[in-house]
Amino acid sequence: MSSQLVKIGPLSQPVSLGVEPATFSADVEAEIDRHLAKYPVMRSAILPLMFIVQRERGYLDPPGVLYLANRMQLRVTDIWEVATFYSMLHTKPIGKYHIQVCKTLSCKIMGATKVTEHCSQKLGIGVGETTPDGRFTLSEVECLGSCGTAPMMQINFDYHENLTPEKIDQVLDALP
Amino acid sequence: MRIEAIGCEPLQLRRVHLENSRSIDVYRRNGGYEALKKVLDGMSPDDVINEVKKSALRGRGGAGFPTGMKWSFVPKDSPKPKYVVCNADESEPGTFKDRYLMERDPHMLLEGMLIAAYALNAKTNYIYTRGEYRYLIDIMDVALEEARAAGLLGNNILGSNFSCEIYTHTGAGAYICGEETALLSSLEGLRGHPRMKPPFPAVSGLYACPTVVNNVETLTAVPDIIKMGGEAYQKLGTEKSGGTKLWSVSGHVNQPGVYELPMGYDDMEKFIMEDCGGILGGKQLKAVIPGGSSVYIMRADQIIGKDVRMDYEGLVAAGSSVGSGGFIVMDETVDVFESTKNLTEFYKHESCGWCTPCREGTDWLVKVFKRIDNGGGRPEDAQLMLDLCDNIEGKSFCPLGDAAAWPIQSAIKRFPEDFKKRLATDNTDGHGPDRSP
Amino acid sequence: MATELAKVTINGKLFEVPKGARLIDVCREKGFDIPSFCYYADLALQASCRMCLVRIEKMPKLQTSCTITVTDGMVVTTQSEEIEKAQRGMTEFLLANHPLDCPVCDRGGECELQEMTFDWGGLEERFTEQKNYYAERYLSPMVANDPQRCILCKRCTRVCDEWMGEEAIEAGGRGSHTVIGTYLGWLDCSQCGNCIEVCPTGTLLDATYRHQTRPWELAQNISTCNYCSDGCQMSIGSRAGEVRRVVARDRYVNGINGEFLCVKGRFGHPFINHEDRIRTPMIRYKKGGKLIPATWDEAIRHVATRLDEIAEQHGRDAIGVVGSPRLTNESLYVLRRFATELVGTNNYTTTDLHSLQSFFEHLGAPLATHRDIRYAKTIVLIGGDPSELQPLTGKQIRQAVRNGGAQLVLVNSVPIRLREQTALFVHVNPGTEEAVLLALADPANDSLAADKAGVDAQQLAAARQMIKATDGDVVVMFDAALSADAQVVAAQLATVFGGEGRRLLLHPLPLFNNSVGAHDMGLMDRHLSPYQMLDMAGDTIRAMYVAGSFLPEHLEQGSDGLAKLDFLVVQELFENATTAAADVVLPAASYAEVDGTFTNNSGLVQRVRQAIPPLHQSKADWMIVDQLAQELGLDFGYQLSPSAVFRDIAKNVAAYSGMTYPALKDESKPVQARYAAGAAGADSTAALRSRVEALAGNGEKITVTPDVGEELFRLGMLTEKVPQFRLLASGNPRPETTAVSPLYQITVTREQANGHG
Ligand SMILES: Cc1cc2nc3c(=O)[nH]c(=O)nc-3n(C[C@H](O)[C@H](O)[C@H](O)COP(=O)(O)O)c2cc1C
Ligand code: SF4
Ligand code: FES
Repeated sequence: MSSQLVKIGPLSQPVSLGVEPATFSADVEAEIDRHLAKYPVMRSAILPLMFIVQRERGYLDPPGVLYLANRMQLRVTDIWEVATFYSMLHTKPIGKYHIQVCKTLSCKIMGATKVTEHCSQKLGIGVGETTPDGRFTLSEVECLGSCGTAPMMQINFDYHENLTPEKIDQVLDALP
Repeated sequence: MRIEAIGCEPLQLRRVHLENSRSIDVYRRNGGYEALKKVLDGMSPDDVINEVKKSALRGRGGAGFPTGMKWSFVPKDSPKPKYVVCNADESEPGTFKDRYLMERDPHMLLEGMLIAAYALNAKTNYIYTRGEYRYLIDIMDVALEEARAAGLLGNNILGSNFSCEIYTHTGAGAYICGEETALLSSLEGLRGHPRMKPPFPAVSGLYACPTVVNNVETLTAVPDIIKMGGEAYQKLGTEKSGGTKLWSVSGHVNQPGVYELPMGYDDMEKFIMEDCGGILGGKQLKAVIPGGSSVYIMRADQIIGKDVRMDYEGLVAAGSSVGSGGFIVMDETVDVFESTKNLTEFYKHESCGWCTPCREGTDWLVKVFKRIDNGGGRPEDAQLMLDLCDNIEGKSFCPLGDAAAWPIQSAIKRFPEDFKKRLATDNTDGHGPDRSP
Repeated sequence: MATELAKVTINGKLFEVPKGARLIDVCREKGFDIPSFCYYADLALQASCRMCLVRIEKMPKLQTSCTITVTDGMVVTTQSEEIEKAQRGMTEFLLANHPLDCPVCDRGGECELQEMTFDWGGLEERFTEQKNYYAERYLSPMVANDPQRCILCKRCTRVCDEWMGEEAIEAGGRGSHTVIGTYLGWLDCSQCGNCIEVCPTGTLLDATYRHQTRPWELAQNISTCNYCSDGCQMSIGSRAGEVRRVVARDRYVNGINGEFLCVKGRFGHPFINHEDRIRTPMIRYKKGGKLIPATWDEAIRHVATRLDEIAEQHGRDAIGVVGSPRLTNESLYVLRRFATELVGTNNYTTTDLHSLQSFFEHLGAPLATHRDIRYAKTIVLIGGDPSELQPLTGKQIRQAVRNGGAQLVLVNSVPIRLREQTALFVHVNPGTEEAVLLALADPANDSLAADKAGVDAQQLAAARQMIKATDGDVVVMFDAALSADAQVVAAQLATVFGGEGRRLLLHPLPLFNNSVGAHDMGLMDRHLSPYQMLDMAGDTIRAMYVAGSFLPEHLEQGSDGLAKLDFLVVQELFENATTAAADVVLPAASYAEVDGTFTNNSGLVQRVRQAIPPLHQSKADWMIVDQLAQELGLDFGYQLSPSAVFRDIAKNVAAYSGMTYPALKDESKPVQARYAAGAAGADSTAALRSRVEALAGNGEKITVTPDVGEELFRLGMLTEKVPQFRLLASGNPRPETTAVSPLYQITVTREQANGHG
């Protein structure tokens, strides 16, 4: 019930980033407002907002992190501790297309290893690496819930299932 | 991929094969939102809870806790707002039923949530979906808009004085966020660490308010319970666990898929060999993990000719449990040492790191698995792994620790040969244990 | 109210303990040792280390005793095969990835992980895999970090959040990759170092102490901090006559501050052995000449003769006597006796920035101890910024709100960091805090106050309401900068707000470690300010005897009176603006080199203990004065014994009567001075009202929260001697590399530090 007569500035940040907070288009700001409106507590929107910043800026870079902190009245360390907990959030640059091959049991016994190897050969990068042109990053991830359609991979948010070498080629070649 | 009801009329899967099954019109034309209407025309919240109690519905998320009882724990007199949170984090390896329910029949979930919200007087409710299921969140958002347009969401639903909001929320890649208290931490914008129980969410959950967390399949069962009545629903299953259950079948079977079976379906062998079309390429069945990765692994000879009844009691009697119904079938080519290593790597990756035994234990176990895999196995390793599991089981902060221990314990006990052959050689050559990486 | 009792059986023995007590505490209190890492009294529960497992009848599996509150009829087992195996298992897990580099670890010998392993661990080492590796690094000039040693008890992140409200250090990553750290790896906080203190292992380390000595080689002396008025208890670790580190670790000291210290208390000590310390007495034989080293006898004789001459010529009042609020009670008391009994002057005072004389003259309620603050139900903070100026008070307020559910009413023109904890923030125009105080004392002034302070009158009513509705303690704190009239009103608030089941306690916020002692010793009873002294200097005052020095603030504002003096004597640690004008400079001993007492802002009289012998030729301030007195023919009869001085104090200072050093021995049972209840002025608010009416009461509202360290990092005569503080003062620049090898540590040369300035 803190009743303040004038708006007080944002929280003092424990770490000076030496950067200005990111800025976003009116549409994106509106989208962010829609998410914030869902919750009684601003901080609850942290994951949706991080995905938006990640979409807009490629990854959670310092300006993006500072933006998130100011927007939700948090400290940058709050953003950092959350961002590094979840496997889908990136605090380091990542390829335009993130190829995530499921390596968990059902996919494994249905040939996940072959999928990884095929992608790896095709793109000339190992697991965890990014192509020099910054287009592809190849990762192995844990169960994505398509064990019945194994083996599979997810590229950014799209599922590609019942994979065969041919199908993988089609999918990768079709990417814009 | 097959999606089929076997041994019962499709309940949860009634609409999945219809054209456009996810649209509100198709849903309504096929009995959709009648249960909600029935509830709003003259059922009290307690009536609803009683029907659910009578139905003997048990939570489908894995813990199998009686749903009606869980609902009745929510303090009615509490002045705080109440929340219903749908657990759509479905990350248990081998489990993908929730995904198809939401993809093909989103309104069934909404109706179930609305009824739950009515029963618990919850005004704001969330669907926590794992971040990888982004396309399902989009589907649910569309469904929510349709529902709102049809006056099924928002103020004075269907002209009643019941008002309620449902929002989608995205996870961001963390299995532990399926654990209900971790889910709530995550929904509050924190790291997905589990919380102490007590207090249980029903008393102090989201924002320290009374909260019910239910799995997708649990909530989608509610409309039918209301329509056919609790008893009728219970009779579809067994006395202790009513209704039907979805099984996500994967691995070496000819017909993987999502199968709806009555609780207590009589024979697991028949299910594998006939309903799922038998083992891929006519090979021999070697092992089954029947309830998602977090349950004991079963040997073929614990199934073949044993008439294993597919319900909570039946599976426990057979030496495993229902868990989330993630049914992973493995043929003779599978090396259980490797399958267990694979799952242990999963638990290490997903351990939230909060508590010592799970964090350090899974890390240590994976290192042992890797060393053995690289030919560095030692005779004492089996005993070491069992002892580490024992130090994790029952000591960890949340059940993930136990879940990490069980597969290993059961694998070493039930498939000793797959381990022994790697531990045969004593490569310590008399100089004490090899300390090289 | 009587606490309900519960019967618990522990290992077969029956005990009656307060219902709701925490099981782990109960067991330990009853003599059943229970290991733990993450459990830390008065911090949020963690239950993550899983060391404290016990068996409780009728409960499935082992339970963590840190999370269990005892209920009637509870039957507990703390020792059994099963439990011991679990404890062995947990220590084994914790050691798995922990580098066993204890020989080069500064925590060796003080490490809880070592102790737990020794007491509860297994003997064989079964972990033969490769340990996870993280490089050692610096997080700041004060904090070194070896992530590999971390056991993730998260005490550090909890104190950073719950004590300091800074959340500068957090856990990042997940699972076995969880690391304690900070975004982008540089710690830009208030550098309190409490994370280091509470760390049970060698993960967070005092960067200024790295590889200096092994902890057990240090002599530990319990003493009182010489910076702010909170008076934290600390253990000064010294070796070979040199202070190496300061800690508040509970194995050495157990004072009002627990293990809390602020950046100054913990890292501000290197001035003690600094090369610039004044080594010998020095005499300036003619004005404008140089200071020339002299023997003590020469110097004392010189001072005695000159003071005699000046008293002869100009009378006794021509000699001014000034004492610093940093000196011990003993020194200030002897100085005052020197002024009144020997010199016989009326011109004496202390070089504080503010005086609490009027407050104490009208004191109408007990002073709040820091414990009172922690358990208060309502806290009213008028002006000031405790998190920067009285950090322990700031921490207690924060915990009272966050862990104790207290409500904080903040009356301030600046949105200080504590606003994050406020229930009601009365955001006033600059310099109008007093107006709100006036309204609190008497509703009749609401409209006046609201108008001047530029706040909503309802807020004033709301504030009074919150206080009146409180069931429990109300603590009113105020900045010592408040005017004398305001202090009178504050001192009398109990008459307005005292009531059934409600105690009103007062907590003044002066600036210096012995500001309150300086008042108690009577140095302020002439209501003379240092500014007035300086104005008289060279005019009615011809000579001045200064123990300590004037503050830059005084010298900037006051006329350059010092230059006009015929004769100036200064006792100091370092040469500074005051000694520059002195005719005689006498080397004084620092607080670490003397015995005595300081009195903190709750009136607690706490011991100062000699940790190292006085450096060079320096002497305790009071001994210098005593020696001079003898030269002038008066022997106080103390015979160089501080306890003799204190006995004298106890005899003549009413509030201290009955106190002795032995009675002050135990820092865990501090003794509070008993101040006489002062009389209320006829209408104590009248004077204040006219002041408030005179206020301009307009001007821009201040909306920026000051940066962390705004005050803490401001260099003073002592902290400017500490290179690390120079770095902080110049914005704590992040070095090119923060990597370290175990045998190398940051050393900051004055030049480097200045370079950043
Ligand atoms: C490690 C762990 C992971 C879990 N993951 C899920 C999950 O992905 N989906 C789910 O519905 N329940 C999951 N659960 C179970 C939930 O904790 C909770 O019991 C369930 O959501 C309650 O809903 P129900 O009663 O309808 O089953 C998990 C539990 C644990 C311990
Ligand atoms: S068992 Fe412990 S570390 Fe593992 S997930 Fe649960 S709380 Fe986290
Ligand atoms: S002290 Fe109880 S779990 Fe750590």
